[in-house]
Amino acid sequence: MSCKIRYILLFTIPALSLYTLFVIYPFGYSLFLSFFKWSGAGPKLFVGLDNFKSILFGRMSQEFINALLHNFYFFALNALCELGVAFLIAIVLASRIWGQRFFRTIVYLPNVISMVLVGFIWVMMLNPQWGLINQVLKAVGLKHLAQPWLGQPKTALTTVILVNVWRNIGFYILVFLAAIIGIPNDIFDAAYIDGAKNWRVIWKIIFPMTFSTFQTLLILIFIWSFNIFDVVYSLAGVQAGPVRSTDVLGTVFYRTAFGGLGSSGQDYGLGAAIVVLIFLMVIPLSMIYALMMDRRKRVE
Amino acid sequence: MKQLVFVVLCFALFFSLVSAKTVEIWSWRTQDAEVWQVVQKNLRAKGEDITIDFRAFIPTEYDAKLFLALQGGTGPDIAYIRRLPGGRTQALVEGKLIKPLDQAIDFSNFSESVQKNVTMDARLWGVPFAVQVCGIFYNEDIFKENKLSEPRTWDEMLEICKVLKAKGIDPFFCTAKEDWTLTMQHAMCGVSILGPAWIKRLTEGKVDFLDQDWIYLQTLLNDLKVYYQDGYMGNDTNDMNAAFAFGQAAMVFYGAWGYQTWKELNPDINVGYFMVPPDWEGDNAYAYIYMDGAFSLTSIAKNPTDAMKVLKYTATPEFGTIFTGITANIPAVNGAIMPDIPLLKEVMDAGANWASPYVYWVGSPFVVQQPSLYDGVLSPGMQAMYMGQITPTELAQRAQDALSQWYKPLMRKLGKIK
Repeated sequence: MSCKIRYILLFTIPALSLYTLFVIYPFGYSLFLSFFKWSGAGPKLFVGLDNFKSILFGRMSQEFINALLHNFYFFALNALCELGVAFLIAIVLASRIWGQRFFRTIVYLPNVISMVLVGFIWVMMLNPQWGLINQVLKAVGLKHLAQPWLGQPKTALTTVILVNVWRNIGFYILVFLAAIIGIPNDIFDAAYIDGAKNWRVIWKIIFPMTFSTFQTLLILIFIWSFNIFDVVYSLAGVQAGPVRSTDVLGTVFYRTAFGGLGSSGQDYGLGAAIVVLIFLMVIPLSMIYALMMDRRKRVE
Repeated sequence: MKQLVFVVLCFALFFSLVSAKTVEIWSWRTQDAEVWQVVQKNLRAKGEDITIDFRAFIPTEYDAKLFLALQGGTGPDIAYIRRLPGGRTQALVEGKLIKPLDQAIDFSNFSESVQKNVTMDARLWGVPFAVQVCGIFYNEDIFKENKLSEPRTWDEMLEICKVLKAKGIDPFFCTAKEDWTLTMQHAMCGVSILGPAWIKRLTEGKVDFLDQDWIYLQTLLNDLKVYYQDGYMGNDTNDMNAAFAFGQAAMVFYGAWGYQTWKELNPDINVGYFMVPPDWEGDNAYAYIYMDGAFSLTSIAKNPTDAMKVLKYTATPEFGTIFTGITANIPAVNGAIMPDIPLLKEVMDAGANWASPYVYWVGSPFVVQQPSLYDGVLSPGMQAMYMGQITPTELAQRAQDALSQWYKPLMRKLGKIK
């Protein structure tokens, strides 16, 4: 037994060390920092729970809650578009259509482009005066729909989310495609012999048999939605404008910890407190969801 | 084996000698790369075997990167620092991450007002490099074609806007997506519309943000938005640079630093400048000027001797000549030979003769704490006002509520403290 423990330790210590160095230590240090006021230089001033008080009930509460609600909206719309649309496209790609291989390759292409480049491309496409989107709308007689997509609060966040969907949907399509291809053909054959129509096959066979994939992807989208930063940063900038309409917890953290342009409120402690709050929100929900999934599996 | 050790030692000695001559400089200004190449060339011509390793970072990330690097004992020999007073440079001084320079460098080529922006605890912490002048820049060809001249009052400016708009030209190109430009616009209009005397009273806590003059200024700005291009809320400074350089808009509220980019984009463009005109004929127009930043010696400099040689050079008119020749920015050092650019001379003249001594944006006491008048109030507030979400009065109330939390003269006026 002692020999086994020695081996277990021998094989787990390298991974555990890396995990400690890159996950546990940074988080522990963030937790430590969240109790201090620190501009990044000079001594750290212990402030107890003041940073959390300031974020939840103080001068930062409005900004924090605004960003938090945006994260929830991001999650909801992202989940709806990415899972819904990806599922439908995956069904099309799983069927025997012309150019199947070509389309399977091409749907993943946006995913390999870096987010900075995606931001650059879409900022140009969405330019109010000479962007392709507005130009096309004007060309097809829909001039009244042409607008500054990223320049008004009512459309900015939705536009950012849709760009995110465009960029990531390939991943979800491939995952669904793998799940659909994994369903034995006999089941489809039997259904069609029994006279089932396509929509019934989708609803009664494909959807139930890929439901666990939905669940897994939903959890991932939830976690990613609360860690979102790059797409907002590249499309709307660190100020997450206009009027903070694209602000998410990631950009609030960035501005607080590193300071926005012209900011004089640089405070790593406050930023660390935001990170701790994000962690506290994501972890329990993820765990509850994972437990629910586990329980469902056991029941099945 | 002995041979191998010898070769390794030789390499180590060689690399240590090479690295000892390298001076690493960190900045947020990418446009200065060529300046340092010329400085290196000139220093070498003077017999100083110095290699300058210049690295520029994204402006919004620069301070954080610098702080973390210096705190960890790494980082550059020379760092660009922001002006004083200001939280970021104050933190560098208080954290002993940069060194005072007044005993090692001759600051006689810098005016007292410029030196004030690098002074803290009666010590000088950096060599200032540029003075920025803000105002309205216009396309001279568009003005000539439409027989327009520089306005003397706000109403005359509105007349110009009407003429241009009637001819299908966007009078102003506004970059509301980058909210800091809206604060800059507010501040440069403020020095002329409100005037330095009013801003002095605001600074001393004798008037507050609910004063009718402040609200009136915001009303003027809000009314001006009909002369901005369609979809201006979605435009940033990159769009503006292209649109202005290629004559798609006649005027911009901006700073002299934009000239270099406009000329690069369109060498044929003729740019003129005027200070924001006052509301009443007979009142003076003022220019908003501020010291941009300075070069500082870090306390962890690996090569302090050569870094000091570079810093000494940056305090000379010769450096000023190089700097302004490449960037078309106004050098902070006196005695530099200016390039033959009429616009630059005009801007310099405005800065020298009509600089407002009191301001409420960069370089003012209103932006040194949070919530600051800059990114805490005016940047998001101006966007909200332009979109019709709040009125000029409500924006004034926001400023009052925010600044009364910490700005002592205002707190005293409102009876919050004695």
